Amino acid sequence: MNAPIIDPLQGDFPEVIEEYLEHGVMKCIAFNRRGTLLAAGCSDGCCIIWDFETRGIAKELRDKDCGAAITSICWSKYGHRILVSAADKSLMLWDVLSGEKITRVTLQQTPLQARLNPGSTAPSLCLACPLSSAPMIVDLNTGSTTMLPVFFPDMGNGVAPSSRNKFSDGNTSFTPTAACFNKYGDLVYVGNSKGEILLIDHKRIQVCAMVPISGGAVIKNMVFSRNGQYLLTNSNDRTIRIYENLLPLKDGVKALDDLNKNIDEVDGVEKIKAVGSKCLALFREFQDSITKMHWKAPCFSGDGEWVIGGSASKGEHKIYIWDRAGHLVKILEGPKEALIDLAWHPVHPIVVSVSLTGLVYIWAKDYTENWSAFAPDFKELEENEEYVEREDEFDLMPETEKVKESDINEDEEVDIVTVEKDTFSDSDMSQEELCFLPAIPCPDVREQQDKCVGSSSKLIDSNHSESPLSEEAGLNGKATNNAASPLEEDTGGTRLKRKRKPSEKGLELQAEKRLEEYKGTGE
Amino acid sequence: SGERNLSSQPNTRSLHHQNPKPLQNSYIHPFQSQNQTKMSTTDPIEESFTPYTQSQTLTGHRRAISSLKFSSNGRLLASCSADKTLRTYFLSSSGSSPSLTPLQEFVGHDQGVSDLAFSSDSRFLVSASDDKTLRIWDIPTGSPVKTLHGHTNYVFCANFNPQSNMIVSGSFDETVRIWDVKTGKCLKVLPAHSDPVTAVDFNRDGSLIVSSSYDGLCRIWDSGTGHCMKTLIDDENPPVSFVKFAPNGKFILVGTLDNTLRLWNISTGKFIKTYTGHVNSKYCISATFSITNGKYIVSGSEDNCVYLWELQSRKLVQKLEGHSDNVISVACHPTENMIASGALGNDKSVRIWTQQNMKSD
Repeated sequence: MNAPIIDPLQGDFPEVIEEYLEHGVMKCIAFNRRGTLLAAGCSDGCCIIWDFETRGIAKELRDKDCGAAITSICWSKYGHRILVSAADKSLMLWDVLSGEKITRVTLQQTPLQARLNPGSTAPSLCLACPLSSAPMIVDLNTGSTTMLPVFFPDMGNGVAPSSRNKFSDGNTSFTPTAACFNKYGDLVYVGNSKGEILLIDHKRIQVCAMVPISGGAVIKNMVFSRNGQYLLTNSNDRTIRIYENLLPLKDGVKALDDLNKNIDEVDGVEKIKAVGSKCLALFREFQDSITKMHWKAPCFSGDGEWVIGGSASKGEHKIYIWDRAGHLVKILEGPKEALIDLAWHPVHPIVVSVSLTGLVYIWAKDYTENWSAFAPDFKELEENEEYVEREDEFDLMPETEKVKESDINEDEEVDIVTVEKDTFSDSDMSQEELCFLPAIPCPDVREQQDKCVGSSSKLIDSNHSESPLSEEAGLNGKATNNAASPLEEDTGGTRLKRKRKPSEKGLELQAEKRLEEYKGTGE
Repeated sequence: SGERNLSSQPNTRSLHHQNPKPLQNSYIHPFQSQNQTKMSTTDPIEESFTPYTQSQTLTGHRRAISSLKFSSNGRLLASCSADKTLRTYFLSSSGSSPSLTPLQEFVGHDQGVSDLAFSSDSRFLVSASDDKTLRIWDIPTGSPVKTLHGHTNYVFCANFNPQSNMIVSGSFDETVRIWDVKTGKCLKVLPAHSDPVTAVDFNRDGSLIVSSSYDGLCRIWDSGTGHCMKTLIDDENPPVSFVKFAPNGKFILVGTLDNTLRLWNISTGKFIKTYTGHVNSKYCISATFSITNGKYIVSGSEDNCVYLWELQSRKLVQKLEGHSDNVISVACHPTENMIASGALGNDKSVRIWTQQNMKSD
């Protein structure tokens, strides 16, 4: 919508903290598909849905029986449902519009991550990654769980062994196995403790392909880009890897079956590795070779052009931004609080990070006023330019001052009704998307005739950030009227139609020049 | 008072009204002198065009009407007035011709009201008043819900965004403000203009705001960040009295106090259509698009008539006569071929015009 107007030259990543959201202690966040709503899971079991446009709370999802901290939060594809996993081993599915609980499933272990099947508008299946066992598919309607294989070959019966991970110092500890759906939800990509990515058809519970990561380090996170074309893995070797998805976005299972048939290998590890090599291609690796940082919550930007990762070191709130080609473009540094979750806005160059203190920071571009937007004639110069007047610039009747012939054809047909196809909509969208929750104005208390006080979002004025100029000035009650000056003074006008009024300085210079000429020292 | 009745203002606007010109020599834009046919009512009306006729007159307001709007569900009409009130009317579709019956009166503002708007779900109204506040009203109960404080001078215009979680307002204090509907908090103050802001509107997905002002400019703003995206300006910059987005958000309809309406293409920053023949040099008269039966531009006028032009050809197809004072506001029903018009103090009425032939008996 804004494409023809917004300046495309501005880099599309955030730079400073613009605002922070505060309500209880938030632990994890997720944007809805268009980024109009931000859902946040809190330590008291409550889910807050923020209206991201007004930065106010649109809804609270609270269940009196569930008071355990939320460990992950996930939207259904078109925003009608939210799935949360909590520390009391439960999964809870909510209906967003009504704020009602749909169903609750209790698992054997606390799920650290739960994802709804993205291929369905009203998904009943979800993927849950428990604390120390294999990821499972949970049917939310029946409550039945199906464990997914974590190693190949299976140890038998489709029951995978516990995800036991060995660190280089010999310590054994249980870490959750990373897993995620692909874009249309027909395949599950699992990253195990041997550094292998398994592509699993979750209907047949079958490992269709395997992609080993060199070095074999434990895979901690896996996430696809929004368009499903890139897969990101975060491993214990402090490296983030980007893989290109070589499979077709839809009918991935069929494509895998075809590959299986066509590859001339004996069934077994070598075969699925061969198939795997046709599914994912390593594209880039990101690491900080100086600090050798562990990464937390890495993910893609909405358009897949940028990759961000948070520093997993406690005591610092650092976000690294790379372009997909691998260049580090920015390190965002926030207040000294550990970062626990991170999300990039689906549409805007905005990043949201959750700190250990429970605050959610909103990072946005550091806006510099574009004066040309206020006065189209106004040309911003990088540095002083020598202005050379036209021959007839100061003539009383300059040649160019005639009425310009009209080049506007007013007879051309104008279409005021047709709207371009939404770039967001998939061709198979059948249901209406839930983009926003109705805003009911809270009635004023009769006595309070004063300005409304108290809000859940605040402006930051820390050393690390700058507030956008216009917002700050505005909220202080005084709208800076810089806009008016360029226009009234008619400065820098180089268009022939406008008369340039010589300024005092201009007249002085003119006088000097004439004096020089008279003296015979003119150039 | 500083409502739409401009000429009662102390003449600080004399800068723009310095040389009041009679209509013949009026401020015709040099570009359109070729295209400008001498518009008169004797022009033959398009053959396929069914004329509108007056079907109803609604009285009740005790002073000049300032603005009229239909709700998006088409069931309600709302009007506001210098008499400090808002009124709603219910459109009943039973019977051979639709008719409006007065529903509610909304009392609470301390001064005259200049503008009003419906929320998308037709449940709330927002009003802009000379008492420097905006008020949100609950329509079913007729009771005020919230008062929005912040402007430091008359609030002149207001609109909900399509999501209706935000309200935009323009004021004589030269700023545009964006408000959070839920809390009433002012989210942003835009240093929009150097003269009173005469109109504000959201585009169809709520991402952009357009504002107009007596300073001769129309500005486009990003509603999320509050940043100015574009300023539309031409060689001559007569005071802009009205602006509104086209249904698809690609164009804006701009009314200026040189008796001219123009359709501007936002991306190119150039105007592509000009509509003249009406009188508009003093008041902030509203104009709108009629798209239920062909595409037309509808506008009020200071010669007490409602003007209809064909969108593409710019031909004047009808002048609706009946009001006894300047027609300050017009509104088109979202689905029916119905126009509502409101006039200033000598008239004080809302008139409803329909295309009778289109209705089945």
